[in-house]
Amino acid sequence: MDRSPVAELSLGDILEDSDAREVKRRPSSARPRRESRMRQLLRPEPMFWGLFSAGGFVAALLLPITVGILGIAFAAGWLPMEALSYERIVDLVSHPLAKLYLLALVSLPLFHWAHRFRYTVHHQFGVHGLKRLIAVACYGTAIAGAALAALVLLRI
Amino acid sequence: MRTEAPRRYPVYVPKVPPTWWLQTAPFRRFAAREFTAVFAAAFSVILLLFLFALSQGKEAYEGFLRWLRLPAVVSLSSIILLAMLYHAGTWFRLTAHIQVIRVGKNDVPRGAVVAALLGIWIVVSAIVAYFYVWF
Repeated sequence: MDRSPVAELSLGDILEDSDAREVKRRPSSARPRRESRMRQLLRPEPMFWGLFSAGGFVAALLLPITVGILGIAFAAGWLPMEALSYERIVDLVSHPLAKLYLLALVSLPLFHWAHRFRYTVHHQFGVHGLKRLIAVACYGTAIAGAALAALVLLRI
Repeated sequence: MRTEAPRRYPVYVPKVPPTWWLQTAPFRRFAAREFTAVFAAAFSVILLLFLFALSQGKEAYEGFLRWLRLPAVVSLSSIILLAMLYHAGTWFRLTAHIQVIRVGKNDVPRGAVVAALLGIWIVVSAIVAYFYVWF
C-alpha cells in the first residue's frame, strides 16, 4: 500500500511509535548523574520562571499605586506642589536602597512580561514554530531593559 | 518522514482556529490576563524614561513631567492602571490556587489567602504613597 507523505507527526503517529518501542533499563554507567539542587535552580527555565513570578508580585503589589501616583494623580494635580520636584526626587533616588527598589520595580515586570508574552505569541498570535527564537527575543529584551535600568540608576 | 505501514485506525486531530481564545468568556478572560503583562512592560518603559530624564538634569526631568501631563499619556496611564488592577486581582487569585497554606492539618481556605494578599496590597500601597508624596 502506498502512503502519502505526512508533513507533521500526529498524535496517532506518536502513540503508534511508542507501542513499537521496548522499554529497556539503561546500564548504570550510562545513566546521567542527578543534578545538584543548585544546578537545577540555575537552569534557564526555573530561573526565568522565578523572575516571572517575582515580576508578577511586583506588578500586582507596587505598580497600581505607582501608576496611580505618577500617571494620574500627578497630572490631575492631586499631589502637593513639591512632591515630584527635581531636587526632592534626586535626593530620594540617590539613596542606594531607593536605587535597588527602582531596579526591581523596572526590571522584574519586564521579566514577567517576557515569560507571558512568549506564550502569548504561541497561543494568541498562533505562531507555533520559532520557539527558541521567540524565547531568546523575549528574555533578551527583559535582560537588556534590566541592564539599561542599572546603567541609568548608576548615573543618577 | 515515516516510511512504515499506514495507520490502522483513524486519528482525531482537533483543529483549533487561531482565534480560539475569543470564543468563550473564560478564554477571553485568560487572554486579557495574559495581555496585562504588555501594559506592565509599557509602564517599565515609562519608568525607564523617567529615570533617564532624571539622570540628564533638571531641564530634561521637567520636560518629562510635562510629557506625563499630556492627555494621550494620561489616558495611556489610565489603561495601564486598569490592566494592573486586573492583573493584581487575577494574580492574587491564582496565587491562592498555587500556594496552598497549611495550618496544622487543615488548608487555609483560598478566600482567606486572597484576603490576606489584599491586606498586604493595601499596606504596601500606603507605604509607597507615603514615600512618593510626603516623605
